[in-house]
Amino acid sequence: MREVYLRQLIAGVILVALSILSTSCGASGKSEIFFGKVVPPSTNILRYVNGDEPESLDPPMSSGQPEARIFMALYEGLVEYHPKTLVPIPAIAERWLENNDSSEFVFHLRHNARWSNGEPITANDFVYSIRRGLSPELASRSASLAYYMKYAKAYNSGAVFVKDSTTNQFVLEKDVAEHPVQDTTQPLSERSLTPGEAEYKTSADESKMAEDSPFHQFMHSPARLTLPGSEKARAKEIAKNPKLQAAISGKDFLPVSAEDVGIEAVDDYTLRISLAQSAPFFLGLLAHQFFRVVPRKVIEQYGVHWTDPAHIVTSGAFRVKAWKPYSELVVERNPMYWDVANVGLDEIHFYQTSDNPTAMNLYKVGEADAVLNHTVPIAWLDVVKPKKDYMDGAEAAIVYVIMNVTRPPLNDLRVRKAFNMAVDKVTYSQARRITKPLSAFTPEGIFVGYPQPKSDGFDPEQARKLLGEAGFPVTPKAGGGYECKSFPIDQVEYIFNTQSSNKTMAEFLQAQWSQNLGITVPLRSMEFKTFLDVRSKLEYKGFALGLWGADYMDPFTFLSLFYTPTGDNGSGWWDQKYADLLDEANTNLDKRKRYELLARAEKYLLDAQPIIPIETTAVNWVKKPYVKGLYPNAGGLYPWKFVYIEREPSKWDYGIPSLTD
Amino acid sequence: MLRFIVRRLLITIPTILVVITLTWGLVRLAPGNFYSGEKKIPPAIEKNIREKYGLDKPWYQQYGRTMWAIIRHGDFGTSLKYQGQSVNAIIARSLPVSAIIGILAYLLALIVGVVVGSIAALKQNSRWDYASMALAMLGISIPNFVLGPILVLIFSLSLYWLPPSRWAGFPSRNVILPVLTLSGIYMAYIARLTRAGMLEVLRSDYIRTARSKGLTERDVVVRHALRGGLMPVVSYTGPALAFLLTGTVVVERLFALPGLGNYFIQAALNRDEPLIIGIVAFIAVTLLTMNLLVDIAYAYLDPRIRY
Repeated sequence: MREVYLRQLIAGVILVALSILSTSCGASGKSEIFFGKVVPPSTNILRYVNGDEPESLDPPMSSGQPEARIFMALYEGLVEYHPKTLVPIPAIAERWLENNDSSEFVFHLRHNARWSNGEPITANDFVYSIRRGLSPELASRSASLAYYMKYAKAYNSGAVFVKDSTTNQFVLEKDVAEHPVQDTTQPLSERSLTPGEAEYKTSADESKMAEDSPFHQFMHSPARLTLPGSEKARAKEIAKNPKLQAAISGKDFLPVSAEDVGIEAVDDYTLRISLAQSAPFFLGLLAHQFFRVVPRKVIEQYGVHWTDPAHIVTSGAFRVKAWKPYSELVVERNPMYWDVANVGLDEIHFYQTSDNPTAMNLYKVGEADAVLNHTVPIAWLDVVKPKKDYMDGAEAAIVYVIMNVTRPPLNDLRVRKAFNMAVDKVTYSQARRITKPLSAFTPEGIFVGYPQPKSDGFDPEQARKLLGEAGFPVTPKAGGGYECKSFPIDQVEYIFNTQSSNKTMAEFLQAQWSQNLGITVPLRSMEFKTFLDVRSKLEYKGFALGLWGADYMDPFTFLSLFYTPTGDNGSGWWDQKYADLLDEANTNLDKRKRYELLARAEKYLLDAQPIIPIETTAVNWVKKPYVKGLYPNAGGLYPWKFVYIEREPSKWDYGIPSLTD
Repeated sequence: MLRFIVRRLLITIPTILVVITLTWGLVRLAPGNFYSGEKKIPPAIEKNIREKYGLDKPWYQQYGRTMWAIIRHGDFGTSLKYQGQSVNAIIARSLPVSAIIGILAYLLALIVGVVVGSIAALKQNSRWDYASMALAMLGISIPNFVLGPILVLIFSLSLYWLPPSRWAGFPSRNVILPVLTLSGIYMAYIARLTRAGMLEVLRSDYIRTARSKGLTERDVVVRHALRGGLMPVVSYTGPALAFLLTGTVVVERLFALPGLGNYFIQAALNRDEPLIIGIVAFIAVTLLTMNLLVDIAYAYLDPRIRY
């Protein structure tokens, strides 16, 4: 009797649960063209799920994407990202000039740009903002973005000049160079110009606006020698170079100061930036938060608390209204903004949550109008992807596998090539549903006109042959499959940070290598920061997961990873020839020629195979159809002033808005 | 009694210091830093950061400075991740959120649990007993990361009755789902504990005495049985309430609440040392206080216990 009752009860509970679940599935019916409720708001307020809690509202002090989006509302730079293509468009700089080898830029600022407190924004504010960002005391993590500027790295790392106190002459870099330096190979910004020689291709009255100055002369002089500020590091460097030792004996060390950095306010509305090298991509970098203008007076008055809602003064299309940490940041239209007439939104509410289903739930019930990139879980794609408010498109980011080339067996190029050829990237991308297979080190379909090279395709036959040549013969196994008995399996492993999508990829790689080469590489997952630590110190053996997203819209943002042996390289592979090829490309002003040279460098990298390309990732997010001016661009960054709410259903976005027209 | 309380309070202080020291050490042992991220930082910049935050000093100096600020001023310093925000302010701001959700959830669990548990005990082996204990079993077996999404699916995504997440202050409709989610498992536990405690007490001698005195059944249950029967619930309340007050990571993340638990997990992932230490110390204090309160409550509820 008792038992019967219990069984009935359990059956009842299950029935009720099932019926509720089935009705709920019915409610989200497949016939709906949008995902969830679509009710345009009566006010011009955008509620945007922005991801992680912002670290700070101080632009150089946080480097994350959620912050970057917030800064795009609050602060403006010389240039802004184009809402569709992310190429630089005029912002506070109305127009600009680039010298003949992209080593110097002159910006003409608009005269009507104002802070949110009504005071004018001038060239001096930019000089202050960038010097501040570079100051060692501020210790900004993004400071290296500005290292292309003359003496920026020296100032940021506390380096010193060497000065002869008797003659007042500085020791120059070329004085101690191991090989004699040709003046003509130097960038224009380091050469003194002969009178009449035109540095800029421009009309006469334009160049008059950026008059010459003593500082400009200083910039246009051969690079001074800089040495580490700390005595220990300096002694080490001096010991390496006897020429250096002789050149500096008996001379004084003079700290590189903020005033030495290559940025100058020629007048209130003219700004000149001098670089230490040719950098055609530099303009694209200037839209980064590091280069956005911040208010000197407020910072000097309140110190680290200048970003408190009570004190903060902003330069962008919006200003802070309220900040509830870990919940939301509310920004409102800045009435002082120079282009306020064209700002479409009254307010933006940036919601904080880093949990994807939570974000999607808010969106579905209509409590959020748009969500950040990568929010639609793979398991939801079946339901969400067919809807007209699903946004996808190629992303300026890649997924790849890094190999530690410093340890056997992967120090053998043939082995590396074999492991690359044994992975079927096309099948993998099909399984991932929204990404594109990758066979290079730059993302597919992002850089228009870039002649992207290809690495070896999927070829298990050739892979086995190569492994055999390297001394690890692969033999067919009885009952199908392959085995590679001589391969030192204990010398390799694949490491990745714990996350379900990374695990899927790890298991795919393991299966491919096992199936095609008969080698079952052990997998090891780690907590994120531990993983980064192990990878950057080359403390792993074999393979590690690699991800990279563009800092600016140029192939160099990817190719520069292997420009130096340290940093984000992670593989231990470095080749002077590769670095030279990149240098050659960057001094070439003709865009097509430059792209060709960059592509040659990329091919060189792919041939050396320190990496296995896997996929170009894709943006995936949702926005309500009434949110206009928000495009699925390749970087997940949106200039908010172009966004508006459209209440007329005939003008809504039904599908993905075009990125090209 | 007073001597007991004083003694317990005196033990608390060294305990907290040990907890802080251990936390401090463990954070240091974990690989990675608060400033390490997807993109590697050049050595020069790393040096700037280490100098700015005093990480270039020898470890005993850093330890000494941290401890001194805590002992002297009760100041846990400034978060390394969230620029310019003091740890004390973060705790002060996020605690109310966690506490409101936690206390409401526990109150709900207590009321429902005790009522259901008592009924089950008084009507032992009846259909009420079986039904409530089956539900309690279900409640214990369903973790909150399953219960939460199911509730959201039903009440937000299908019926559109309640908001699926986010904090909108108190009182607001946003509170309902997190409270329900959080209280589920506690409700089930309390019901079971109450039932077990009551069953034991109902068979004891002093209840027989009370009944033989001629007291009404209501007096027997409310004045005598319940007091003794709730002892297990009381001892469970201390630690349970301490955890609920200081935030529950899963529910706060699920519902995007700006509570202490959310900060705690994020601080650990960010290697935000001052924030981790601050929150751990706070949780330790809360836990010890709750345990002390439980011991005091014991003495009141059970006349046989003397300290």
